[in-house]
Amino acid sequence: MEFKKLLEKDYIILDGAMGTMLQKMGLKPGGIPEILSITDPDKIISIHKKYIEAGSDIIYANTFGANSYKLKESEYSVSEVIKASVRCAKKACEGTSALTALDIGPIGQLLEPTGTLKFEAAYEIFKEQIAAGKDADIIVLETMTDLYEVKAGLLAAKENSDKPIIVTMTFEENMRTFTGCCIASMALTLEGLGADAIGVNCSLGPKELIPIIEELSRWTRLPIVVKPNAGLPDPVTGEYNVSAREFAESIAEMNKYGIKLVGGCCGTDPDYIKETVKILSGLTHAINEKTIPAAICSPTSVVVIDQPRIIGERINPTGKKLFKEALKNKNIEYILGQAVEQIQGGAEILDINVGLPDIDEKEMMVKVIKAVQGIADTPLQIDSTDPEVLEAALRVYNGKPLVNSVNGEDESLERILPLIKKYGAAVLGLTLDKNGIPKKADERFEIAKKIMNRALEYGISKENIFIDCLTLTASAEQEAVMETLNALERVKKELGLKTVLGVSNISFGLPNRGLINSTFLTMALTKGLDLPIINPNMEAMTGAVRAYRLLACHDKNSSEFIEHYGSDVREKPEKKDADYSLEYAIEKGLKEKAKEITTVLLEKHDAMQIINDMIIPALDKAGTEFETGRIFLPQLILSAGVAQEAFEVLKKKIASSNDSTVEKGTIVLATVKGDVHDIGKNIVKVLLENYGYNVIDLGKDVEYEDVLKAVNENNCHLVGLSALMTTTLGSMAATIKLLRENNCDCKIMVGGAVLTYEYAMKIGADYYSKDAKQSVDIAKEVLG
Amino acid sequence: MVKIDSINIDEALRYMGYKDNIDIDNLKDIISECEKRLLSSAEPRYCYRIADIEKTDGITVKNTGLVLVGKSILDHLAECDSVILLAATLSDKTDKLMNLLNVTDVTSALITDAMASAMTEQLCDIAEEEIRQERGIKYTTFRFSPGYGDLPIGIQRNFIKALNADKKIGLTVNDSNILIPRKSVTAIIGISNKPLPKQKRGCAICSMNKSCQYKKRGAHCGI
Repeated sequence: MEFKKLLEKDYIILDGAMGTMLQKMGLKPGGIPEILSITDPDKIISIHKKYIEAGSDIIYANTFGANSYKLKESEYSVSEVIKASVRCAKKACEGTSALTALDIGPIGQLLEPTGTLKFEAAYEIFKEQIAAGKDADIIVLETMTDLYEVKAGLLAAKENSDKPIIVTMTFEENMRTFTGCCIASMALTLEGLGADAIGVNCSLGPKELIPIIEELSRWTRLPIVVKPNAGLPDPVTGEYNVSAREFAESIAEMNKYGIKLVGGCCGTDPDYIKETVKILSGLTHAINEKTIPAAICSPTSVVVIDQPRIIGERINPTGKKLFKEALKNKNIEYILGQAVEQIQGGAEILDINVGLPDIDEKEMMVKVIKAVQGIADTPLQIDSTDPEVLEAALRVYNGKPLVNSVNGEDESLERILPLIKKYGAAVLGLTLDKNGIPKKADERFEIAKKIMNRALEYGISKENIFIDCLTLTASAEQEAVMETLNALERVKKELGLKTVLGVSNISFGLPNRGLINSTFLTMALTKGLDLPIINPNMEAMTGAVRAYRLLACHDKNSSEFIEHYGSDVREKPEKKDADYSLEYAIEKGLKEKAKEITTVLLEKHDAMQIINDMIIPALDKAGTEFETGRIFLPQLILSAGVAQEAFEVLKKKIASSNDSTVEKGTIVLATVKGDVHDIGKNIVKVLLENYGYNVIDLGKDVEYEDVLKAVNENNCHLVGLSALMTTTLGSMAATIKLLRENNCDCKIMVGGAVLTYEYAMKIGADYYSKDAKQSVDIAKEVLG
Repeated sequence: MVKIDSINIDEALRYMGYKDNIDIDNLKDIISECEKRLLSSAEPRYCYRIADIEKTDGITVKNTGLVLVGKSILDHLAECDSVILLAATLSDKTDKLMNLLNVTDVTSALITDAMASAMTEQLCDIAEEEIRQERGIKYTTFRFSPGYGDLPIGIQRNFIKALNADKKIGLTVNDSNILIPRKSVTAIIGISNKPLPKQKRGCAICSMNKSCQYKKRGAHCGI
């Protein structure tokens, strides 16, 4: 029987636990249970058979942990173990209608950004398993806690087989997985990526899973899977506390939420399956008609477009000198700073555009998306005109993104829409085509309709199609303003699609741009704008959206508004003349003060004078106090952080006046491969930047080759390497060796808790830096 | 999840090299802000197993597939017939917070890092106490972690496997034997049926003995 055919039944019965059965049969703990398929196949076959006799329609082959990571120290290959396991399952199915599933559990290592396993490497691990299990009828990904890992697995399955795919993740009582993934994010992401059935397994008993299944039923149209444990294990004996009968009764309680595939996880045995079959035979599958709300998400955060939501526009190089510089220098931290600032300002979605003629946009896009995902929960809008860049971004995005954009031209529709469908994103359609932007609202409406119909043809559901009716500049085309708004209104009302608008363009070339922008924004909101793309750092813009949400009765009880403005006490105007000196602000850790003072100082002094006469002496003083033990490390860094704020003010001034650079030389810093501790390196970075060095920070867990590449590309004469663990000192030595073999004209300094001067010399470093302060002394010696 | 309401700030300060004569007025606000954020983001969890040990060539922890080698663990468990294997983590939410702070404010990142280390120790203390109560254990050794003395850090992988810690609390280990999430501990606690002599828990057995930052400035890490 095929899976499709099985779906015609009211319920599809899965199997129960494999591990529990093996333990009952005396499996030695610490062993690899999957190897039993080779060494004791009869035992495995007999377990499968018991489940089939109990009523299972699908049995999971004994392949859960059969991946290259977990089998590393075993004498068998992934292929051998999986092939043997699938053979056992197929053997048990012979003469019955039961189907065999290739069972794939978590790899066992955490993926980036928390862990060091790359998304692409995870994909390869899964791909190997899927190839080895090609004789199975179905692919199952289960007990997953990391949505990113699931995405790697699901992509690997879709791209390397045509089998149905069932995905179940494991949730805790707080309705999230260990990595914080929520149920809605799982559903939105996996349905988009093309899973055939989704649900939950393991960790909790059936009773505890009821609210989780209820929540899931609101977010998916797919068949729902549930495979609970036999209750919770006793902490002392490890025995599970729910009987087969009670288990089945709880399953029956879930029926109203539309469960379709049912089985058991840890602690269950064929009796649990038998009882479940018995109870379900008296029930019919509940079909829940539902509409899924328009929403995009990261693993931890879902933005439902049920009211105006703010898209932050600042991660975009257009017209921004510092941003362009940052892209050219691969200064990811600058971009992350822009992300954080916008989130604090009120952005609910961040647009990511890193298109610049002289850079590798694809590489940069992937880097930036991974980096932003590492620090923020905010969902992203991927913004590029290049389909290749879009696809690379869609691959590594964790969650369900919005893609900016497609337009009414056939070529654009044909290239972009298949990507949207494959990766399960939402898409933003621009109402323009080969003739440009139509003047009249009606013509733009027609393009919107064309985009919608084409997207529907590609199988993209309506809630995932958004339309941008395009803002034109009021100073150039005054009559066009209302055309845009009228088109927006029609799209919203007549097509029932969500609307997007880039707002800031409207005021180009006019005085008092802020006033025009916020007024236009308010006009658009009343016409039905859902997603304004704005600069969220402008209070008047974010404030207008918040006020609108209050007035349009989205912000119930005005609670969001009051939270933001309730404690708004007008601050007394600060005295313009500096109450304190810059040196004092640096010493005491007064960041805001330092910025103000620096701004004032710039009226009378030039940047280099401020650096050399005020900032550097203040830092030197802090350095001396640190060395003599009058202050300790966090205070040194606090002062350095304040100095950095002052530098930012100076840098902006220099960038706008085209003055000479303040930088003294370039230093590449990295935490070596395999090591994830980067605090020490970051502290060194702050201090070096304070002294005017241009620091290229490669981050943590950095490949040897990437250090070499950065040194060559930036003509750099000093490299700093950090390692905190004895286990990664080998990586440090290997990095140094690579630099030496390539005859790099650079000095190497090393630091980190486990290093000693002797060891540093032994592995070929030029300098051992015992603390952050000393790295500055070394830089002065090497670079001046 | 284990409930922890406040962080042992003194301990965190000590990790950062604080001495009594230093005036920390300018850090007070930052410290309390860091504490608040860390407490609201961390999800402290632990899991454990009790197992008998057999001293043969090294120490075999029965039914776990784990073998502990080296002189230091042999000394450590000299009076013991069984052990608690403990794994504890603050979860990857703490890593994410640290990543964010590393971008926005390195001072806060440094302070939060030290606080998270202190919090991990607090978590282990609570875990140990709960286990002792739950299992009626009276006499135990201090917590001995892979990498101390000559106990190889390479056993982390098997340790995680023996406890099924990746599934139970989301704790994994990378190819460099670093625990991930970062603020995590694995430890072996010896169980004895009679009071134990005071054990040496000093620098001599420590793998950091030569390079220790605390020792260099005449302090002690407290382990």
